[in-house]
Amino acid sequence: MNRIYGLTLRGIDALPVEVEVCVTGGLFSISIVGLADTAVKEARERVRIALGTLGIKLKGHIAVNLAPADLPKEGALLDLPMAVGIAREAGFIPKDVSGIFMGELALDGRLRKVKGGVPAAFLSREMGLPLFIPRGNAQEASMVQGVEVYSCSNIAELFSHLRGESRLKKLDFSLPEAKVVEVEPDFADIKGHVAAKRGMEIAAAGHHNLALIGAPGSGKTMLAKALRGILPPLSDEELIEVMRIRSARGASIEVERARPFRPVHHTASVVALCGGGSDLRPGEISLAHRGVLFLDEITEFRRDVLEALRQPLEDGCITVSRAAGSVVYPASVLLVTASNPCPCGYLGDSARNCTCSPGDIERYSRKLSGPILDRIDLRLQIPRLTPDELLELDGTGESSFEIRQRVIKARELQIERWSSFGVKCNAELSENMIKKHLGLSKNGRAFLKSLGAAFKLTGRGFSRVLKVARTIADLAGDKTVDEPHLAEALAYRGGFFFER
Amino acid sequence: MDKKNKKDLGRWGEDLAASIVSRMGYEILMRNVTFRGGELDIVALDGDELVILEVRVRTKGKVQSPTESVGPRKVKRLLRAGSLLVERLEWDGPWRLDVMGITLGGDVAKGYECEYIKDITLGMI
Repeated sequence: MNRIYGLTLRGIDALPVEVEVCVTGGLFSISIVGLADTAVKEARERVRIALGTLGIKLKGHIAVNLAPADLPKEGALLDLPMAVGIAREAGFIPKDVSGIFMGELALDGRLRKVKGGVPAAFLSREMGLPLFIPRGNAQEASMVQGVEVYSCSNIAELFSHLRGESRLKKLDFSLPEAKVVEVEPDFADIKGHVAAKRGMEIAAAGHHNLALIGAPGSGKTMLAKALRGILPPLSDEELIEVMRIRSARGASIEVERARPFRPVHHTASVVALCGGGSDLRPGEISLAHRGVLFLDEITEFRRDVLEALRQPLEDGCITVSRAAGSVVYPASVLLVTASNPCPCGYLGDSARNCTCSPGDIERYSRKLSGPILDRIDLRLQIPRLTPDELLELDGTGESSFEIRQRVIKARELQIERWSSFGVKCNAELSENMIKKHLGLSKNGRAFLKSLGAAFKLTGRGFSRVLKVARTIADLAGDKTVDEPHLAEALAYRGGFFFER
Repeated sequence: MDKKNKKDLGRWGEDLAASIVSRMGYEILMRNVTFRGGELDIVALDGDELVILEVRVRTKGKVQSPTESVGPRKVKRLLRAGSLLVERLEWDGPWRLDVMGITLGGDVAKGYECEYIKDITLGMI
C-alpha cells in the first residue's frame, strides 16, 4: 500500500501522520477529521485554491482522515500532504505516489517554509520514505545524513515530479564548515581582568558552571559575552542537536559552529526558562543546549525560577510535562551567572564604600539557595580596574582564538580520558570517578588534607575543587593533579559571597 | 409589469438559460421540478457532475443584480430541494448548485446580459 504521510511536531520529534482521503458524491465540501487544530482545519481553503491554480477542480464530498486519530495535530505543515492526498485520490497524480510531505500552501501554489525541517528529516530516515519539503527548509534538512529529501518551491513543481514529467534534484548531505565565527567582544579587547580571564578559560576547558561577582560596571557582562568566543566549536553531532531544537521551535536557522549564547533577563518566568506552555515549547535552557546560558543579575531572579534549574543542570535534560503530554528536551548548558556582592553593589570594592548593613548583605547572599550554588564550580570575583589599566591603550591580552586553541586541546584530553565512562568533560564527573580516576598525586592529597579544614570544605566542596583542579592540570597538559593545580582551584571559590 | 408578464419573463429566462448551458455541453435532464420546499429551474448533467441551476431574471435599472438576489435563505432552500432531488434520483455522484443571472436591457430588443456563477456553495460548507 502506498501511503501518504504528513507529520506533526512533539517536542524535538516529528511524529508521522497518515493522510487518508475518500471522495464521495454530493455537494463539494472538504471535511477534516483526526484531532486537527484550527490551522489544519483552515487548510481546506488553501488546499482548494492552491490546487485550483493547477487547473484542478475538486468535486463531491472529500473526507480527509488524519491518523492516528488520538494524536493532536497542529500547524499549517499538513497542508501539503492533504493536497497531495486529495490530488492523488482525484486522479491528478499517480496512485503509487508515497512519501512524507511537509509544507504550508500559499493561495498561489507556492510552498511556505514551516518549522520542523530537521525533525522531519530524522523521521524520514527512520521510516525509510522520501521527504518533500518547501525550499525554505532545504538547508536544515540537508544536515541529516542518509535521507532522500527533495525541496520544491511550489506545488506545480512537486506534482510534475510526482507525475514523472520532470525530476526534482535530491538534496545533498551537507554540514557547514567547522570554522568558528569570531565572537564580539574578543578577549584581546578586554583590558585587565587577568585573573578573571584565566578563570573563564578554565570554565570553558572543563565545562564548569561559572559565577561572576563584582561591582556594577566592573565588566561582568562583557566577560560573559566573550566566553562564547573561547568555547570549542560545536562538533557535528552537537550541531545537529542544536539545530534540531531550533528547527522544532521555528527559530531562525542560522547554521553556525559557534555555540549558542542565551542571555536571560531576570523577569523571566519558569516557562520561559525551562519550557512549557500549552504547546510544550522548549525554554531558554534548551535553546542554550551545548552553549552558554547567561543569567545576569541572578540574585534578582524569582526564587522558583532558579530552583527549577536544579534538575536540568544536574541531568542535562529537562522533562516538560503538561496536560497536553510530556516532552524531554536536551538542556546541557554551561551556566554563567553574574551578580553584585551586596544590594548596593560595592562590598569589597577598592574605591567606594559599601552602604549596606550586615543584615542586608546576609539576606542578599541568601537569595541563592545552596543547591544552586553547589552546581557552580567556579566563582570569580571581578575587581574594579584601576585607572592605569583602563587607560592602557595597546591591546595586550591574548585573543579569543589563542585561548580557544588551548581550550580545545584540554577538551580533547578529557574526551580521551573519560570517553569509556560516557562522560565528555571534567564538570560531569561523578563522585566515584573523582575518587578513583582523577589522578590526584600524593603531594596533592596531603596538600588538600592540610587546607581542607582551613577552607571549611564540605564533601561537595572537595569534589568541586578536585574537578576544577583536574581541568587546570589538563590545560597545563599534566597527567596528575598536583599542589599548584589544587591551590589555584581553591582560589576560585568566590570568597565571602559564598561563605555560608 | 403585471403578474402574467413577470411569469412569462421568468419562463423566457429559463428557456434562454437552458439553451446556453446545452450549448456548453450540458445534458438537460429536467426542468421545473417542484418540491414542497420550492422549485428547481433546471437540472442538468455537466460530465459526471449533476448541476442544479437557478435562473434569475431582472430588468435593467433594479438596484440588485439578479445573482445578488439569491440570498442565504434561497441558498438554503435550494440545498434542501437539491438533496431531496439527489435522493429521489438515487444519484450518488458529485453535484453542485449554479446560478445564472440574466439582466434585460429595457426590452428584449435591446439584448441582455448574462452572468453565470458555478458552484455557489464553494467555500460556504
